[in-house]
Amino acid sequence: MRIREHPILEFERGKKIQFTFNGNKIEAYEGETIAAALHAAGIWHYNESDVLKRPRGLFCAIGHCSSCLMTVDGVPNTRICVTDAVEGMVVKSENRGDIK
Amino acid sequence: MREDDIIICRCEDVTLGTIRELIRQGYTTLEEIKRIARCGMGPCQGKTCTPLIAREIAAITGKGIHEIMKQNHRPPFGGVTFEEIVSGRDEE
Amino acid sequence: MIHEYDTAIVGGGPAGICAALAAGKNGLKTLLIEERTFLGGQLIKQTHRFFGSEEEHAGTRGIHIANDLKSELEGMSNIDVMTSTTALGYYEDGILTALHDEKMIKIKPKSLVLATGAFERFLPFENNDLPGIFGAGAVQTLMNIYGIKPADKVLMVGSGNIGLIVSYQLIQAGVQVIGVVEAASKIGGYLVHASKLRRLGVPIMTRHTIKKAIGTDKVEGALLCELDKNWQEIEGTQKQMSCDAICLAVGLTPLADILSQMGCETTFIGELGGIVPKRTADLETTKAGVFVAGDLAGIEEASAAMLEGELAGLNAVKFVTGDERVTERIHHLKEELHGLRAGPVGEKIRYGLAQLFEDSVITSKKIESHEHDITRLAHTGIPSQENIDEKLPDEKRMIKPYAVIECFQEIPCNPCVISCPFGAIYIPKEDINQSPIVDFDKCTGCTSCISGCPGLAIFVEQRNPEQRKGTVSIPFELLNRPQKGDVVELLARDGQPIGTGVVKRILYGQKQDKTAVITVETDIDLVNKVRNIQLQRTGKKEVM
Repeated sequence: MRIREHPILEFERGKKIQFTFNGNKIEAYEGETIAAALHAAGIWHYNESDVLKRPRGLFCAIGHCSSCLMTVDGVPNTRICVTDAVEGMVVKSENRGDIK
Repeated sequence: MREDDIIICRCEDVTLGTIRELIRQGYTTLEEIKRIARCGMGPCQGKTCTPLIAREIAAITGKGIHEIMKQNHRPPFGGVTFEEIVSGRDEE
Repeated sequence: MIHEYDTAIVGGGPAGICAALAAGKNGLKTLLIEERTFLGGQLIKQTHRFFGSEEEHAGTRGIHIANDLKSELEGMSNIDVMTSTTALGYYEDGILTALHDEKMIKIKPKSLVLATGAFERFLPFENNDLPGIFGAGAVQTLMNIYGIKPADKVLMVGSGNIGLIVSYQLIQAGVQVIGVVEAASKIGGYLVHASKLRRLGVPIMTRHTIKKAIGTDKVEGALLCELDKNWQEIEGTQKQMSCDAICLAVGLTPLADILSQMGCETTFIGELGGIVPKRTADLETTKAGVFVAGDLAGIEEASAAMLEGELAGLNAVKFVTGDERVTERIHHLKEELHGLRAGPVGEKIRYGLAQLFEDSVITSKKIESHEHDITRLAHTGIPSQENIDEKLPDEKRMIKPYAVIECFQEIPCNPCVISCPFGAIYIPKEDINQSPIVDFDKCTGCTSCISGCPGLAIFVEQRNPEQRKGTVSIPFELLNRPQKGDVVELLARDGQPIGTGVVKRILYGQKQDKTAVITVETDIDLVNKVRNIQLQRTGKKEVM
């Protein structure tokens, strides 16, 4: 959910854009990171951890904890919390090197 | 869930139980635990887990934190593609 | 191609920007590199007003300070700024490699200032890796940078300044904060921040910790328990609370990895946040010409980061040019830093720095904790009646409006002094930590101080004994601001409703800078008790 009214801040949002997450269309505004847009869309559960298959999602949102790594436009290990969403981006939560 | 199941290293899914077991087996430095359990080798390079592992080592062995917290860091800090390193672009 | 510079600054947060400005203003060809696409670091997320003194932009909102600093940078032609650029390593031949838009570039600076900041700590508890568990910084990023509501109901873990400030900002964003959990027996951050939360009805649970996050693939609740003096769980005190997010504000650690790669000696000092660079009082590391500033040098506040940034930048100037003209300013900055750290809340920093400097030049001026007992305040965020009474004038004086400054803890802060147009508020210049005192002969009750106070700790009262009525003016920075004439619910310092009142006046102009000053009229007995208001559900208007 995006904040419309705030007592201190005014949010100037850029152009509306769209990207896909695991095949689903997600709306975003230019300037938002992929993680921010997913969070606004209510997507908090990103994927499962490699070994113990535990559900994981956003944690630090600043690129330091490795919880948000996804495959973006074919590039694995992309930190979506510091990557801006771009029109037409293809984001997949599966993040293994053997993805074709 | 038990205390031993608590996740200490998010990148490599290493639990508190595993860390404690390794320490009891005699692996009482961060470098040893890194080489056996991979804590510190994942994408976050030990940022998340190191202080917590150090605390466990201190608690179990009685070693001082100063002695435990000695690490080696090697570049690069951040993801660089292999292509970028080896591409041998002509430099001006 | 090797990019040559007099100095390169790594990190574009408050410390880095101030270092760049100091270097640039003194003629150095300067490069500032920043990992993110934007400058400002943590500063651009701080919607609250800053503490400290005028020199540290006290009284100004963090976001505005950030904008001012960025504008200054833009005006400097000898400072190059490269965003989306990550430092990769620094080598024996003096080359700094960096990744800029996926391409590796080489920089050769004559001096270096590292201001890479810090990152958040993790906490061990069951299910601590569930989606819905966020670092406090993450939550701040979502709501203050991207305008995205982080959650509906948050449990905050940690009562340091970050935990307290972010809790307040969550409420401003329309999020419910179900409580703040603190393992120690005392609140960690500034007590004015705690008081703000208490009057909004947020419980601060000291001697509590989180045992478990409840939920299968997302947070649905939290299991808390109480701790005894030895930090052990007390049997039978487990308590479950429902929430959809758990926010961890349990401390920061400097981002020191590049230091050890470079061969700068580091040491572990818990009070400074972990592994920190060994450095001189001039912020020079064990490698000549390499300086550090901000949280990297030791976890502290943004005000200290800005001062250290400038200090490091000026020392880089001295290193490169040998120019002695900066010496006076360097000395002044060290004094300012010392002043910020001199009070009781600076004890941890001082102790940490004393370990860093074996022959400690940081002489800690031992301030006597003031005569008034603030134990209750430190444990609960609510002052005792004795504390409050000490801030009030004689009864005869109360017929005219008077300012009540509910600031009891010694913290380095004095914007209230500057905000008063009549010079009625006093803090000694030599000791910015002392609690402010009001001269009731000069005070007119104009309420300028209410919107000037970073802690939102000032109220203006007036009592009319004949009519058994009175007014109280409070700061208000939330959604659902009442209108003049509304009948509102009055809340006490603990957030409990204690009656109703009528809104008589609202000041909300440029001078107030988004802190509305709302004056309500109510019974004389409630005037000193009311510290917050909220709209009644029916929003009744007074019948004129």
